[in-house]
Amino acid sequence: MTLPTECGCAENNGLTRRGLLGRGLAAGLAGLTGAGLSSQLAFAAAPHTGDVLVVLSLRGGFDGLSAVVPIGDPDYYAARPGIAVPKSRIVAGDAMFGLHPALAPLAPLWQSGKLAAVHAVGQAAPNRSHFAAMEELERAAAGTSTRTGWLDRMLGGLGATGALAGVAVGSAQPHRLLAGPSGDLSLRAIDTFTLSGESKNKMSTALSALYSGVPAELAAPARSAVGALAAVGTVRAVTSDVTYPDTGLGRALRDVGRLIKADAGLVAAAVDSGDWDMHEGLGARMHDNLGQLAAALAAFAADTAGRRVTLLTISEFGRRVAENGSGGLDHGYGNAMFVLGDGVRGGTVHGAWPGLGAGRLVNGDLAVTTDYRTVIAEILRKRCGVPAAALADVFPGVTGPELGLVLPA
Amino acid sequence: MTAQTSRRTLLGAATAAGAALAIGTPGTAAAADTGPAGLVAADPLLHLLRRATYGPTPASIAEIRSLGATRWLDRQLNPASIADDACTALVARLPLAGRDITAVRAAASAGVFKTYGWEAMFQLGTAAVSRAIWSNRQLLEVMTDFWSNHLNVTCPNGDVWDSRPDYDVTVIRRHAFGRFADMLKASARHPAMLTYLDNRYSTKAKPNENYARELLELHTVGFGAHGEADVRQAALLLTGATVDPRTGLYRYDPAAHATGAVTVLGFSHPNADPAGEPAVLALLDYLATHPATAERIARKLCVRFVADEPPAALVSTLAKVYLANGTAIAPVLRALFTSAEFAASAGRKQRTPLEDLAATVRTLGFGPDASGTAGLTSLYWALEASGHQPMAWAPPNGYPDVAAAWASPSGLLTRWNVHINLAANWWYKQLTRPASLRAALVPAVPATYGGLVDALAVRLTGTKLAAAHTGALAAYFGKTPGSALKSTDPAVNANFPYLVALILDSPYFLVR
Repeated sequence: MTLPTECGCAENNGLTRRGLLGRGLAAGLAGLTGAGLSSQLAFAAAPHTGDVLVVLSLRGGFDGLSAVVPIGDPDYYAARPGIAVPKSRIVAGDAMFGLHPALAPLAPLWQSGKLAAVHAVGQAAPNRSHFAAMEELERAAAGTSTRTGWLDRMLGGLGATGALAGVAVGSAQPHRLLAGPSGDLSLRAIDTFTLSGESKNKMSTALSALYSGVPAELAAPARSAVGALAAVGTVRAVTSDVTYPDTGLGRALRDVGRLIKADAGLVAAAVDSGDWDMHEGLGARMHDNLGQLAAALAAFAADTAGRRVTLLTISEFGRRVAENGSGGLDHGYGNAMFVLGDGVRGGTVHGAWPGLGAGRLVNGDLAVTTDYRTVIAEILRKRCGVPAAALADVFPGVTGPELGLVLPA
Repeated sequence: MTAQTSRRTLLGAATAAGAALAIGTPGTAAAADTGPAGLVAADPLLHLLRRATYGPTPASIAEIRSLGATRWLDRQLNPASIADDACTALVARLPLAGRDITAVRAAASAGVFKTYGWEAMFQLGTAAVSRAIWSNRQLLEVMTDFWSNHLNVTCPNGDVWDSRPDYDVTVIRRHAFGRFADMLKASARHPAMLTYLDNRYSTKAKPNENYARELLELHTVGFGAHGEADVRQAALLLTGATVDPRTGLYRYDPAAHATGAVTVLGFSHPNADPAGEPAVLALLDYLATHPATAERIARKLCVRFVADEPPAALVSTLAKVYLANGTAIAPVLRALFTSAEFAASAGRKQRTPLEDLAATVRTLGFGPDASGTAGLTSLYWALEASGHQPMAWAPPNGYPDVAAAWASPSGLLTRWNVHINLAANWWYKQLTRPASLRAALVPAVPATYGGLVDALAVRLTGTKLAAAHTGALAAYFGKTPGSALKSTDPAVNANFPYLVALILDSPYFLVR
């Protein structure tokens, strides 16, 4: 299918976390009432000294095998006679793995060691439902009753409480990664996050009062809106010298860059990139999508150069190894992640490669050798300053050897 | 089937008896529950209107008070009985919205719009917003939205440029109150669905699993009720259901069909014949009447109409009604709206952005453009900022239907801006408006600011605000509720739109 925008930003926020909002946000906002809220929330937190974490969700089931191509594995070419990426067209990499040609804008970052990939990454158990897999990916607490998003728990572990500490950019809808008691903001775009009409302060005061004394699930978003209106004002003046592609993802990353450069208290940002569900005609679509992804990431890297930022990509699952009858790929399992930033040990593919031989596949899919949570946990610990004790809350029950993916900050 | 048949009479009788009770007697203990913090009026008729329509209007309130809940619901469940000429004429300004595949293609060939252009899909989306606001067949519009999400085919979406309007007419609307089994089979043989979920390209040599998976996971039994083997078996059986590339119409292609015995959940079929369509239809009937499907559809209806975390007993009851009535939806809705659980749920749902926009225009009493479609189009695009244009959700699971999925600061801000932009006539200027919004909403200027807030809140939301909130709105004008109000005060003149907007911004209007 072809989706209406290049950035399916609003994808799959089918949340059922009423209880969470009722309890968690009520606790998080206890004591903060009325018009005083905005000043208390805005820039109230201690400055974050670690890397800003940017989580880019590649929604729809990203085909890591097309992006980080196992050119040294003959089974890859056997399984995909119509859509495999020829070895001759690879733009960076080594004898075993190469980057898709559409990722050429990222080749300099790969070669300078600021961009790495991790292959054969995934969740602990195969789950080929977009919706169930995304929910589990973002909750990241299998086998527990936890209903918060792991990015929210990261903010909690850092004690981040500013109005702009956790921001989802690109959609008006709340982001499930940020679901939970830590305050968060969904920003469709910085420039349009403004109240229509005159007498904005009077309206803000009235709105705060109208949502006082009502249940938390109603009150919390309204109070966050009023608080964020004040905080976002300072970010609006920040511009970019770098030209971003005029795509949903480009615009969203540009706004993340503005938040970072404004020193507005951003600790973690969530951005979505949709339309990776390619059951049909994968070749050309993958080329286009990867090209847009690479252009946006390259612009973001240039824009935030010298800042403490680590960006990583996640997706709910990878695709099946073998192509289907319509030049596409059905839902699979193991996948690749990208990690971008000054602290990355880049220019290489991390993780254990299980191979694509028939005996190594899981139900026709790339096997998972690395739990995606261990990849992120290493970044949180070494780059973002999340204390070891808090990591256990971010990713409960996760233990695994670190890959040496990033350098200690 | 025998077990179901034997249960049918019993269940039908039981629900009907329980039903008439709760709805027919306003003021019962259950119905008197006013919801969280008294944000809605304790009036079961208003409760029914808020849930079964896109928002009360003075005319719809008068109608339901005159008819009573039971007769009002009967009429809504039989939309052909409701005159809707004005809305029909309005939607006729968007002619491609109702055209079949052949006609849309002919319009493209004739140069009305470009082949593969999005005009027909935009017209369909604009028609949906227009009907949500101005159709008298309100429950039909609400259910069309419900089913459009359940059997989502994203609109706009380049691949269904010619077929999406026909899908709306012949799959969703035709069966909205009918048997789900019929709707499911219609969707499975519609080019829009077969294209959107790639089944048109699925062949026996290399089946494409996309449609088979979502058929099981989203359209019928749900995640957890099936395994990977079921997906693969269903995908095999579904090969052959395709689209004729020349005409764009549905075609069954025996040459592409994978024969051989299949088993999907408890369904098995020898599937020996290359003309495998009867086997496909048998599977769809099996899935439509599967208890897990009954439970899922009952639950989704409860999430839409009752509560985000619906009462388990009601879900169970409705699933039985669904099965006992051969997957017919009207009896399920009747049982839902007449249940004690529904009556007790007042104020426990929140409006989605689409519902908020439609309810705003409806309660303000604005009409559509005198001619043309500019105002209608602008309302459709107003929803783009909220991420809630009808049918536009990109993944196949349809828009989320729970408050948490929409409860974001940015989402609220977008609504607030729509309210003031409508009330102050800054945007959407082509809509038909009263000469004086103030005179239309509050005909006589009250003596005090508190009186003004009370009159306007009752008019817009059906209830007075709590004293503290009334005070906050008086304070917006630098007054107290007891302050005298003069007919020359800004609050009833230039600044009146702000008061309208703030009441629409409040939690009283956010709940439905």
